[in-house]
Amino acid sequence: MLGSNSRASFALLALLALCLLAFLVYPLLYVFREAILPEGKLSLAFFAILFQNPTLRQSILNSLNLAGLATILTFLISLPLAAALGRWNFSGRAILQSLLLAPMILPPFVGALGMKQIFARFGSLNLLLLQHGWIETPLDWFGQGFWAVVILEVLHLYPIMVLNLAASLAQVDPSLEEAGLNLGAGRFRVFRTVTLPLAMPGVFAGASIVFIWSFTDLGTPLMFEFREVAPVQIFSAVLDLRTNPTGYALVVLVLLLSAILFWAGRSALASGRYTGAGRVMAADRPPPSALARLLLWTGALSLTAFALLPHLGVLLLAISKQWFFSVLPEEFTGRYLLGIFSHPLTLTSIRNSLFLSGIAAAADLVLGFGLAYLLVRRRFRGQEFLDLVAMLPLAVPGLVLAFGYVAAFSNTPLNPRVNPLPLLAIAYAIRRLPFAVRAAYAGIQQIPVALEEASANLGARPLTTLRRITLRLASGHLTAAAILCFALSMLEVSDSLILAMQERFYPITKAIYDLTGRITEGVPYASALGVLGMILLFAGFLFAGAALGRRLGEMFRIG
Amino acid sequence: MASIEFERVSKRFPGEGGQAVQALDNVALKVAPGELFFLLGPSGCGKTTALRVLAGFVIPDQGTVRIAGERMTRVPPHLRGTGMVFQHYALWPHLSVFENVAYGLRVRKLAQEEIRTRAREALRMVQMEDRAEDKPGVLSGGQQQRIALARALAVRPRVLLLDEPLSNLDAKLRGEMRSEIKRLHQETRITTLYVTHDQKEAVTLADRVALMNAGRVVQVGTPRELYCRPVSRWVAEFLGEANFLPGTVVGVNAWGEVEVFTALGVITASAPAAPVKKEQRVTLMIRPESFVIPGPEPRPGTVIHGRVTRKVFLGDQDEIVLRAEEEIMLRGLFRSAEVERIAEGEIAEFRLLPGAAALIPE
Repeated sequence: MLGSNSRASFALLALLALCLLAFLVYPLLYVFREAILPEGKLSLAFFAILFQNPTLRQSILNSLNLAGLATILTFLISLPLAAALGRWNFSGRAILQSLLLAPMILPPFVGALGMKQIFARFGSLNLLLLQHGWIETPLDWFGQGFWAVVILEVLHLYPIMVLNLAASLAQVDPSLEEAGLNLGAGRFRVFRTVTLPLAMPGVFAGASIVFIWSFTDLGTPLMFEFREVAPVQIFSAVLDLRTNPTGYALVVLVLLLSAILFWAGRSALASGRYTGAGRVMAADRPPPSALARLLLWTGALSLTAFALLPHLGVLLLAISKQWFFSVLPEEFTGRYLLGIFSHPLTLTSIRNSLFLSGIAAAADLVLGFGLAYLLVRRRFRGQEFLDLVAMLPLAVPGLVLAFGYVAAFSNTPLNPRVNPLPLLAIAYAIRRLPFAVRAAYAGIQQIPVALEEASANLGARPLTTLRRITLRLASGHLTAAAILCFALSMLEVSDSLILAMQERFYPITKAIYDLTGRITEGVPYASALGVLGMILLFAGFLFAGAALGRRLGEMFRIG
Repeated sequence: MASIEFERVSKRFPGEGGQAVQALDNVALKVAPGELFFLLGPSGCGKTTALRVLAGFVIPDQGTVRIAGERMTRVPPHLRGTGMVFQHYALWPHLSVFENVAYGLRVRKLAQEEIRTRAREALRMVQMEDRAEDKPGVLSGGQQQRIALARALAVRPRVLLLDEPLSNLDAKLRGEMRSEIKRLHQETRITTLYVTHDQKEAVTLADRVALMNAGRVVQVGTPRELYCRPVSRWVAEFLGEANFLPGTVVGVNAWGEVEVFTALGVITASAPAAPVKKEQRVTLMIRPESFVIPGPEPRPGTVIHGRVTRKVFLGDQDEIVLRAEEEIMLRGLFRSAEVERIAEGEIAEFRLLPGAAALIPE
């Protein structure tokens, strides 16, 4: 290795380490210290309070139940879809696969707006049923918010489960299944005894993400005024950090749980990966029967339709003049959709979000490429650790990170109470770094190293090679990474809600939250912002998908 | 013991760029009960497809397959009662060796006690009983192969299907496993269909061989028939090295052997499968090891003169290339002691005993 090259690697490593230390490790450690070392003495008193205080105890239990139920439901919904996508070759497979990502273009907390309009006590569904005389009093579809949150999480997160599961199922060598059939086991028995056990790593991986994300989602329960969950309790604790230290303990608990699950999911992936020697060919498998195809399409389409109901609700809310006590809006208007570009709060939030996401995406691009390059092209000690740290933000919920920022940086120039913009940008960047690393990793990995060696052989300096060969050839993936980071940052929820405390610093998501609390014209403006977010994220997925091809799905897998 | 039949079985697969591949073209075969039958051919000739048709993983476009006389063509794989050994073994990595072997027995809902006995017995047959609790991942290729065999045999299948079972083993292990398979077949006498591209495996193990090319069965017979009386140049070359010599039939002798006039004189070829006519143009196939070096005592046959253009020491044998009349090149293989005194560039003689050459009809 050339001297200058390794020095550059070292500098890059140092920069990365510094960023991650300062903005990922330090705030978490700070929260840890406050939780177990109040006033410099080791004490678990705050943790005891978590389990003694009835509200806190109930909140933790609710969150666990909610996440557990969401995970199980997600798994049940995803299994047939994943089995079909991972193991069958049929026409329209690509369409089905992209359809799958559709529900992800809207954070569930915005979807909650639409969901409420449809399923609330006097929402569209109850009104419809009342009108036809099928029910006499409005039904409670939400179970005081609990079931509403569960369902929204499931509808938002099942694509992730399907992607993880399908990838695992696709890796099962078909001859392992044929061996089962050959010995007399029927298809379902083979699936149960051979295929599914071999795909367990994917199940764990998917389940751990779904659990963590639904366990730590702040926005959705907030929208349903379902306050007895851990994330909402943490959100309230931010407001009185100095007087109420139990927030620290709660955050530590959430973080530990997330980290353990994340680690368990990853090690299940690592230990359980049996690589079959046989070639894996979907073409080898019998094509699905007409009935199976019919069932699959019916199931997938109705699931997608149901998952897009919240989106539809938001869209209708954004374009209706008034939607009150009627099944569907009666008059439409473009006022709100256009209005968000003149309304002072929404316009500021759009500007803020564009600015913050732009910076975060740029930072992710540089850091992600650097990290990925080191991981793919260099061999050094601690590489696995670096890989782990780069993926760590997936395990650290935005909620926890934001709480850590407020706690750790309150008395510094970065104080979010004064100006949260720097910390918001940093939080966005850190949260989306894993996506950038993964996309860049894929981009660099597909470049044969000989192409770079040929450039060096002809006398190009390392930087020249990097610029003229590596960056050029990985540009598709890098573009996708930047777009994805940008679009996802535009709709960051937890950290935006916590860090942005003054209106002039609100990003889109906080503005949506703020607007929904306003009596007059709040909801339509919030919905219009939500529609803008949907359009941005949809376009982001579209472009990223075009650049990455089928790899787009891989961004949402953890191993 | 069950017979196997293929009746005019055809299968096309959609190939790259819309070009369909004819994997099986009117394949007809009859395997007798208890036979160790080989499907031999180059890669892509359709032999594995034929095996998979019999196992039920491929449904043919046309034709019928039967096991023990029963039509099997549309019976799902798990109801066919075949035992298959996959090319890459296909052992389940999440189950122990014992559980792998017991799987088929559990599926058949046998009593616990019987499952244990029969799985142990199958493991004992392949001498792997002491590895019952291991996971397949820790075993060597040869050991995995044995487990795969035990798993297929444990269910006492009507027919045993082997898909290139030795292709992933190194040369020494391959030899061991060859005799192991031979022994197991002699013990169990299960009708066995064995797919390979390795002619040596086929020649040394098979009761009978079907040689396949481009989806068709080219020739069926004992290894000796295929080796000594190939129906075409392609068959002759697939099974080993051969010299080819054009000629014209001049007559048939009392033993049915055919006298052929060639550029190197009149050569007596072995009796052909189909009758030949005088003046018919034919090709003679001569295996390199069927030449001898003429000694002092007179013996029948044709003596061929020529100059030695190459002599290569091969270890157990020497290869000699002779340039005979009309620039005809002949390759011969001899025991080293026999050709000690022959050197490159010198004049030498090969003798061809009557019947050593085979007729290939044109």
